[in-house]
Amino acid sequence: MKVNETEQQFLKLAKTVQTDERVPDGFSALVMDRVMEQHALETHSADEQFLRFARNLPANENVPYAFEKRIMACLRELLTPDPLTLWSRMLWRAVAPCLGVMILVVLFSSGEPVDTSAGQAAGELDTADFETVILASFDDLENTW
Amino acid sequence: MQATENSPETDVRTDEELVRIVVDGDVDCFEELITRYQPRVFGMARKYFRNESDAEDVVQTIFTKTFQKLSSYKGTAPFEHWFMRLSLNACYDALRRKRNRPDQTISDMLFDDESWQDRLSNIPDASDRVGLEEARELVYTVLGQISDRARIVLTLQELEGRSIREITEITGWSESLVKVQAFRARKEMRASVERFLMKEKKL
Repeated sequence: MKVNETEQQFLKLAKTVQTDERVPDGFSALVMDRVMEQHALETHSADEQFLRFARNLPANENVPYAFEKRIMACLRELLTPDPLTLWSRMLWRAVAPCLGVMILVVLFSSGEPVDTSAGQAAGELDTADFETVILASFDDLENTW
Repeated sequence: MQATENSPETDVRTDEELVRIVVDGDVDCFEELITRYQPRVFGMARKYFRNESDAEDVVQTIFTKTFQKLSSYKGTAPFEHWFMRLSLNACYDALRRKRNRPDQTISDMLFDDESWQDRLSNIPDASDRVGLEEARELVYTVLGQISDRARIVLTLQELEGRSIREITEITGWSESLVKVQAFRARKEMRASVERFLMKEKKL
């Protein structure tokens, strides 16, 4: 019983004592430093390890069967263009000379002086001839009646 | 891959000689160049493209481009350098066009029975084809998480052990750009590895 009483007293006393929650200055920073250090060490070693692993891994240099033949076939196709391409290429090549000829013709035609009197005479003559030809049949008709 | 070994039976022509012959009009000689370089080009393409048909497409594009640009090869640098630069640029272009993101996620690559450390500590034997394929998948998935540029620089610098100067020659980027990309690549790769570790811890 005596022991119990002493225990009870001790417990009462213990309850009255407040827990010491004081934290040493910069403790959390210290812990965080340690954690970060450990983390960096882990990560660093992991990425170094990864690089070593990747470096030592042999490259897969297998080539599919007759791959060079396939490429050569593609290249030969490239070298022989289809008729339509050839035709369009020729047309494009003809564009420059055609333009040149067109420009020359325009220059010549605009540069030459036009003889208007001769043109007028020719026009009159043409209309006179035209009238004679058209009315010739009527003249014949008059003669018959 | 300079063809310097001269065997008594066959007259082995150098790359530069072959190029000259092809440019002069003997197209059939290009097949010899393809045969010489295709294993390396396939090895390179498979580092960037997991899908076999994608790798084949890229290799085909590389050889077609090489043929078309062959006349622009001046012969001032070894053909191998010129060709590998062209190949790498073609891979980079294809990566950009495809936005080749891995269809396999990190979770798919984690195994309950084997930790990350265990997997990385054992490089499969050359005869273990399945193991090798799995290992390549793992590397592909981790590198697939980083940007295309970073991936190219990381592959050239860390995996193939090329110097900054070599990378500038291959990629055509400035030295400072390569350095920046190399720094970023390491950072991105670390983040990718970290993601793996975090996932593994969660399991």
